[in-house]
Amino acid sequence: MDRRVAVVIPAYNEEKSIAGVIRGVKALGAGYHVVVINDSSRDGTTRNAEAEGAVVIELPVNLGIGGAVQTGFKYAFEHGFDAAVQVDGDGQHPPDQIPLLVEPLFEGGVDMVVGSRLLASGYRMTFMRGLGIRLISLFLRTFTGMSVRDATSGFRAVNRGLMNFFARSYPQDYPEPESLLLAFLKGFKVAEVSVRMDYRKYGNSSITPFRAVYYMTKVLLAMFIDLFREV
Amino acid sequence: MFQIRLFVGIVAILFFIATFEFIRKGRLREEYAILWLSTSSIIAILSLWPGLVSVLSEATGLYYITAVLAIFFSFLIAVLMHYSITISKMKETNKELIQKCALLELRVRDLEHGRSQ
Repeated sequence: MDRRVAVVIPAYNEEKSIAGVIRGVKALGAGYHVVVINDSSRDGTTRNAEAEGAVVIELPVNLGIGGAVQTGFKYAFEHGFDAAVQVDGDGQHPPDQIPLLVEPLFEGGVDMVVGSRLLASGYRMTFMRGLGIRLISLFLRTFTGMSVRDATSGFRAVNRGLMNFFARSYPQDYPEPESLLLAFLKGFKVAEVSVRMDYRKYGNSSITPFRAVYYMTKVLLAMFIDLFREV
Repeated sequence: MFQIRLFVGIVAILFFIATFEFIRKGRLREEYAILWLSTSSIIAILSLWPGLVSVLSEATGLYYITAVLAIFFSFLIAVLMHYSITISKMKETNKELIQKCALLELRVRDLEHGRSQ
């Protein structure tokens, strides 16, 4: 492959899993370059990532997932990459699934590909999480006609056009669903493909049941306001 | 009634002096100063000319003292809203700076090690 793909890995205290993810990406071939965004981890994330030969960008202050991923898009755009893939540092997103996200971009016709764990059956998740994902999906279908089932998936790929847009404006707190809407409103095409996802091996999900309600309110409000905004 | 006017008047004047002093010492930016100076001016005017509050209290059906509080409250809401907007703007510029800083730091490290991206 002569195209260059930046694999952007936002990481916060992922010293146990980061090396495995990077090795998985490297196994894909020479076209894939790993960029780890260390969001002010206090553990050995940077050391372990650099030991695997990854480029590490260290944020001096914790920005959260949105700010970290956006830094990756900025880097990828500045360095002329043809595509950028977002992959979690906790091992939930198997690197061998990355080509499934990237290929549709290079075939043309789409600007963003979301990897969905819901298109194939059998992925377990909590009731609240399932409900939230359905609500967001319903929102997107109602207001835009988009058909994305797993809008909260952080396993996704964008081409250069969208990389440029996201480098300039990207939601900060819970960016996954909202960024899909912004891409749509800006006239980009979004597709969803089925991928395999693993369950996290270390650490806990950042979304606890208590935060779920806040998460939903915030995301839906932000998305509703976006409908009236000039993007 | 007179005590209220005296109290409010003194508060307004102290406020006015404090604002003026903060600007003079460079601890308050002019854009905020305008807001605070107009706040204290209006409060001072109201305490000197209570008829204005009476007009307002008759028009809205509020009691005199309630009308005074309503005026205070509206100003506080405006100031707090202004702060929310300022904080949001600062968060955005802060984020941009943090990201730029991190990207530049990577560039410096690469230069030191003679790598090119």
